[in-house]
Amino acid sequence: MIRSVIKTTLPILFGFLPLGIAFGILFQELGYPWYFATLMGICVYAGAAQFMAVGMLGAGVGLFEIAISTFFLNSRHLFYGLALLNSFGAWGLRKFYLIFGLTDETYALMTTITVPKEFNRERYYFLITLFSQSYWVLGCSIGALASSSLDFNTEGMDFAATALFTVLLIEQWLKVRKPLLFVVAFGSSCITLILFFQHMLLAAIVLSITTIIVLRFIKSKKND
Amino acid sequence: MTDISYLLLVMLVMTVATYATRLAPFMLFSRGQERPLINFIAKNTPPMVMTILVIYMLKGVNYSSFEGVYTFIALLVTIVFHLYRRNALLSIIAGTAVYMVAVQM
Repeated sequence: MIRSVIKTTLPILFGFLPLGIAFGILFQELGYPWYFATLMGICVYAGAAQFMAVGMLGAGVGLFEIAISTFFLNSRHLFYGLALLNSFGAWGLRKFYLIFGLTDETYALMTTITVPKEFNRERYYFLITLFSQSYWVLGCSIGALASSSLDFNTEGMDFAATALFTVLLIEQWLKVRKPLLFVVAFGSSCITLILFFQHMLLAAIVLSITTIIVLRFIKSKKND
Repeated sequence: MTDISYLLLVMLVMTVATYATRLAPFMLFSRGQERPLINFIAKNTPPMVMTILVIYMLKGVNYSSFEGVYTFIALLVTIVFHLYRRNALLSIIAGTAVYMVAVQM
């Protein structure tokens, strides 16, 4: 099972490692000991929020403002959870960890791949989550620890995240075959790109879900 | 407040805020319950989110520079590999390798 999980999560490794390293290097500039970057990767485990935190820590922003910003920045997770309500098994430590470790990447993987028949699904998901977080923590630590002495040029490696989402998009297309969903998502993205640009992610998710709910409502009205 | 305790408090606050966004749906809706609207959303979000994530990743690219060309080529390589071989890992490695070589040249 471990070999299969490593193979499945390898794209996440390519995405998380350079991003984690970038975070570590940036974090190091604040002047804290390196292991706080590790700690942040373990406890907070949210890419965009951690990058935001570096700026806020530097500026000495208040805790309340940080809490609110973090919550809104990560609120797309609210919708990720909805799609996985029935996938994480019974309540227990494992489920709490699976929820804790939910990221764009693990969500994308879990909602697209089919777990090989011979493996227990929840265990498989657990290992995916655990390995993915390990890559992230490793990246954060390497970046903070060796910011000045890195000789491997990771520039461009972050394209792996784009490639991963592209591959998963193709898989979704082959699996779902409802062109309307993709059209709605594309349209929502264009609109929110124009309106919000930097913060389009959450806005596009909310807009596209609202749109399909309205469309469904109109359709059911017609059938009445 | 010392610097370190400020950092630790920030981390604590961020941990709680992030976990709240991940935990909330699981707390609000129990497993296996029949909720047509939630099921409808759950079933239809993954393809939409995947579309949005790809666009989100591509939005920062400067399309009037070489970066735009490299991104286009790397994306094309990823897609062609994937349609041709349907091996996720291979497609991702191929696309990323092409992109890395291009930007580091």
